[in-house]
Amino acid sequence: MSDEIVLRVKDLCKRYGDKAVLRGVSFEVERGEVKVIMGPSGTGKTTLLKCIDMLVKPDSGKIWLEDLELTDPRTDVSEARRKIGFVFQEFNLFHHLTAIKNVMIGLTKVKKLPKDEARAIAERSLLKVHIDRELWDRYPAQLSGGQKQRVAIARALAMEPTIMLYDEPTSALDPQLTREVLEVIKELAEDEMTSLIVTHEVNFASEVADEIMIMMDGRIVERGDPRSIIYDPRREETRRFFNKIVKIGDELR
Amino acid sequence: MSFWDEFLSKLYPGALTTLQLLAVTIPSSIILGIFIGFLRVYGGKIGKTLANLYVYIFRGFPLLVTLMIMFFGLADIGIRLTPYWAAALAIIVCSSAYQSEYVRMSILSIDEGQSLAARSLGMRRSAEILYIILPQALRIALPGIGNEVIYMILYSSLAYVVGVNEIFSVAISVNSIWFKPTEVFLTTALIYLAMTTTASYGLKKLERKLWIPGFETGVRR
Repeated sequence: MSDEIVLRVKDLCKRYGDKAVLRGVSFEVERGEVKVIMGPSGTGKTTLLKCIDMLVKPDSGKIWLEDLELTDPRTDVSEARRKIGFVFQEFNLFHHLTAIKNVMIGLTKVKKLPKDEARAIAERSLLKVHIDRELWDRYPAQLSGGQKQRVAIARALAMEPTIMLYDEPTSALDPQLTREVLEVIKELAEDEMTSLIVTHEVNFASEVADEIMIMMDGRIVERGDPRSIIYDPRREETRRFFNKIVKIGDELR
Repeated sequence: MSFWDEFLSKLYPGALTTLQLLAVTIPSSIILGIFIGFLRVYGGKIGKTLANLYVYIFRGFPLLVTLMIMFFGLADIGIRLTPYWAAALAIIVCSSAYQSEYVRMSILSIDEGQSLAARSLGMRRSAEILYIILPQALRIALPGIGNEVIYMILYSSLAYVVGVNEIFSVAISVNSIWFKPTEVFLTTALIYLAMTTTASYGLKKLERKLWIPGFETGVRR
């Protein structure tokens, strides 16, 4: 891992009406680093990721992707988004396109690559997430949840992003399918794909994360390496949070 | 000349006129309906207001009244349209107002995730609408648009009130000479039925061709 900073978030604030969702979030992600954000539901994790991709406009604070300030009004946000891969909780595959066309469309319509070149890149991306040839021409409705999410990852990956953002990528999946998706994310992380991951999967987080950040009430309350955060948190509320999700996990098993 | 000889010899040009009317009104109103439907969602403040006003007016006027306005009303202010174009214009504005509603609803039924995903890939608004929203919205709107096509075939008969010599006006005039309403109007009805049958068949074919798993356009269920 180099020390080069890819993503810098500074004092990010966002409110919806009366509710302050983000209350001054700051952190940095280095190239090749895998950062995991955990925390109870409704504490602003999804909003944070959407702000970074400028899908939600932050009220104040700054975001830089490498040297480019995304929050600068003069920045061409559409252009900048090409370099940010976003994986949604609900997959959001384009319903009217086959798996491979879902991956190709960003290449042909945004990057304006010729079709055969786009197809070659799409094929490589799909193979990387273990979507085999026989699934390429299927429509999203003909794929399992795990397959859909892996196609969605391939779609983001094909754009050759500087960073991947995962917003609870397995929350809509059953445990079996969760495993196949997490496996893929882990492989990408091992390939030095810079990633920012929101997840509730403790085991996965402990395996994949260089650092875990705990978010509560719109703030990052605690951060550190996975081992200390999960097994020896400084704050009582972090301890309680992990006790709760581990207990729920045990009950599910 | 016997009744049938006269009736059939007049029906042929009448049917041709009806078909000419439809050949203009169907495609124009669909294109205009799609455009106005999109304007009503994406048009910004001015576009939305204008488009909504358009729909408010032309969905609120009876087609028959709109027809009169297009022919006599416009003539009063110096715009003289031929009966054919007055009828075509009236049908187009009325039907496109209805169609824009189908299109608007179908756009609104597409979940926000599609738009978020498009933007997250770096698509601009125009690309998002063109490549992601439009193909999905039109598939959803197709049955509604098809319905309007059927209506247009039937409502083209209203053109007779401004003197377009289409099928229905032929029927009226032949009946007034021969007074054989059963033969005249049953035959006329069958011609319309033949046209709507052809249209339904074509629309079904189109739906099937555009069918995509997960998209409920009414086939294979």
